[in-house]
Amino acid sequence: MGRIKHNAARCYGCKICQLVCSLHHTGSFWPERSSIQVSRNPRTGVVKWSIDKTCDLCGREGEPFCLRYCSYEALKNVADENQEENEGE
Amino acid sequence: MSKKGKIRGGLAGKILRVDLSTGRIWTENSEPYAARTLGGRGTNSLILMNEIEPGTKWDHPANLLCFGVGSLVGTAAPGACRTDISTINVFSGGKGSANVGGSWGAELKYAGFDHIVIRGKAERPVYLYIHDDRVEIRDASWLWGKTIYETEDLLRQEFGDERIEIAAIGPAGENRVRGSAILIDTAKAAGGSGVGCVMGDKRLKAVVVRGHGKIEVFDPPGFMEAVAKAGRQCEANRVKVQSMRQSGAARFEDPDFEGWETCMVIRNGQDDYWEREKRAQLMNAEAGIPSMRRKVRACFSCPTGCMPFMEKARGKYREMKGEGFWINALWSVSRFDISDPETAVTFWLLANELGLDTDYVAAGLAWVFECYERGFIDQKDTGGLQLTWGNGEALIGLMRKLAYREGIGGLLADGMVEATKKIGQGSEYYLIHVKGQPSIEPFRIPKGWGLGVSTSPVAGRHLRGAIRGPGHSGPGGTDYNVIHYHNQAKAVVWQAKTKELEDNLGICNYVGTWSGAHFLTPANYAEWVRTALGLPVREEDLMEHYAVIGRNLEKAFNTRHTNFTREDDLPPLRFRREEVPKGPYQGFKADEDQYNAMLDEFYQLWGWDKKTGMQTREGLEKIGLQDVAEMLAGKCLNEDHLPIR
Repeated sequence: MGRIKHNAARCYGCKICQLVCSLHHTGSFWPERSSIQVSRNPRTGVVKWSIDKTCDLCGREGEPFCLRYCSYEALKNVADENQEENEGE
Repeated sequence: MSKKGKIRGGLAGKILRVDLSTGRIWTENSEPYAARTLGGRGTNSLILMNEIEPGTKWDHPANLLCFGVGSLVGTAAPGACRTDISTINVFSGGKGSANVGGSWGAELKYAGFDHIVIRGKAERPVYLYIHDDRVEIRDASWLWGKTIYETEDLLRQEFGDERIEIAAIGPAGENRVRGSAILIDTAKAAGGSGVGCVMGDKRLKAVVVRGHGKIEVFDPPGFMEAVAKAGRQCEANRVKVQSMRQSGAARFEDPDFEGWETCMVIRNGQDDYWEREKRAQLMNAEAGIPSMRRKVRACFSCPTGCMPFMEKARGKYREMKGEGFWINALWSVSRFDISDPETAVTFWLLANELGLDTDYVAAGLAWVFECYERGFIDQKDTGGLQLTWGNGEALIGLMRKLAYREGIGGLLADGMVEATKKIGQGSEYYLIHVKGQPSIEPFRIPKGWGLGVSTSPVAGRHLRGAIRGPGHSGPGGTDYNVIHYHNQAKAVVWQAKTKELEDNLGICNYVGTWSGAHFLTPANYAEWVRTALGLPVREEDLMEHYAVIGRNLEKAFNTRHTNFTREDDLPPLRFRREEVPKGPYQGFKADEDQYNAMLDEFYQLWGWDKKTGMQTREGLEKIGLQDVAEMLAGKCLNEDHLPIR
């Protein structure tokens, strides 16, 4: 599990976190190769968000990309806290 | 700058070609097109220009339905999510185009395609399934007749993959109702030009996409720096951004918001003023539209999500829920003098469910209501519906008839201009349309808005340069005012150019240079094109070369396929003749002389013949469109400085 926590109430489901995460890992925009996976069901409005153990908090890049580029302040770094289940609504 | 620079990033690289008549599927390289046009809508326009023979009608198998994803879609550029859908316009016979957000475009690029170009017609209903480089034409008989919501549910069930993206038509498109939309994710509508009608005519129910690939940009660190800069602009513009994040229509929750005064059209154009208490009832926080908003969602890579998820309990109408509710809904219901919030939300969700374009429904059916008021039609014609202003249940009932071609719906489904010929009695004067497409737009008060709509090459609509005040759209500054004619042409041309770039790159103009969050500039686009696409451009190259190419391609398509004249670039006759009867703008009308003066300036700014509005060989050659000039030469009276016609 990563140490990034997702706040479902703040998330708009734009997937930028997934996108910039893949940039960190691969140098390209490659959502399949991201530590974060996001999907949205338009019939319910529910966003599903998950993060896997490949998250390295962007290593030496400074602030993790997903936090830096999330405009909705829906993510935070809880490296020192107990990680809760990062599920959607 | 090299005008023939090679694009070195951003693109998926391929155009998917599908012939539904023969079942043939093949691909070609998208880069040579994008190098010329920047991609997206520009490439769609170029393909249509090259491949549609004069005389081809929208329902001919040779008509093409082109899906074109913007060149920056799939990257982290803010608001880069848009897809252009171009075809022959079912209303005008000229260029058709509609633009849509969501995540479908990005998914298509991850599957490896920038465009899908569909020709021919399937014998039986089909859908297209694209799973990376596996492309299949599949039987859709089990989906035919289903609503947009049912189609989404059935396809999601069929694939069991939460990440599939769906573009579909509803019953309206299947029934070839002219004003039919193509819906992405059930809620984002490519509405204009009858693109859903063309898709239905090809018996194509849906395009289902799943992609696992990647998009690479030319200079990732430079690009992310440019993206971060745009993020800071977004932050600096927080008031507007926060309003959008409430919903795209949140500004109208204030009954004194100036948009209520300057851009509404009431009772099919009998007035442009709507009473304050009606606005307040519609947008009341406790019982109005905002009370049915459950949450707000964003399109792909968008920092200013504006798409509400609406949920409506059973009331006058059945229970309904779904994504999407835009300002057009307010325009739409006020056009019928309906201030009941439940009707407004039902209107919107039902249009999505049936696959109808809301603007077509609003403008077209408001004309039918006026025909009823004036006695051109009666209850026998309407199947018992009393089409009186304010009657929401009649509007909802008429929408169903339209989508399913029941009773009078059959007459209206073939287009409102056609319907005027059958109803007669002078009813054509009351049909508000631009180049054949019913129009919900205001012309009498906001002059730049009216000019942008009336000159649009895709038969009206406000996304080809329509502007209101400098705080809303256009280049900013103090030298143009929403209600005056002065300097409007210049601002409209600026807006039309930035929209060209936005549609080619796939940037939502609500994020970009128009309305809504409104925090980007063409300078941002130049930075992204340099760092993502690897084209060494300056802002002026984009504005004076690529944007001009895009507009000229659409204009040229019209010159080749229609007989439009300068008269067709003027506002609908009713607004030139009748003044606004009350409110703060009482006495305003679309003054023909003033509009003509704006047209003179507008044509000159584009480099077209001032008198006729036609393109010139010189102007086309200047931007490298010699081949287009040759194509138009058959309609040309003379060479060089004379208009090509």
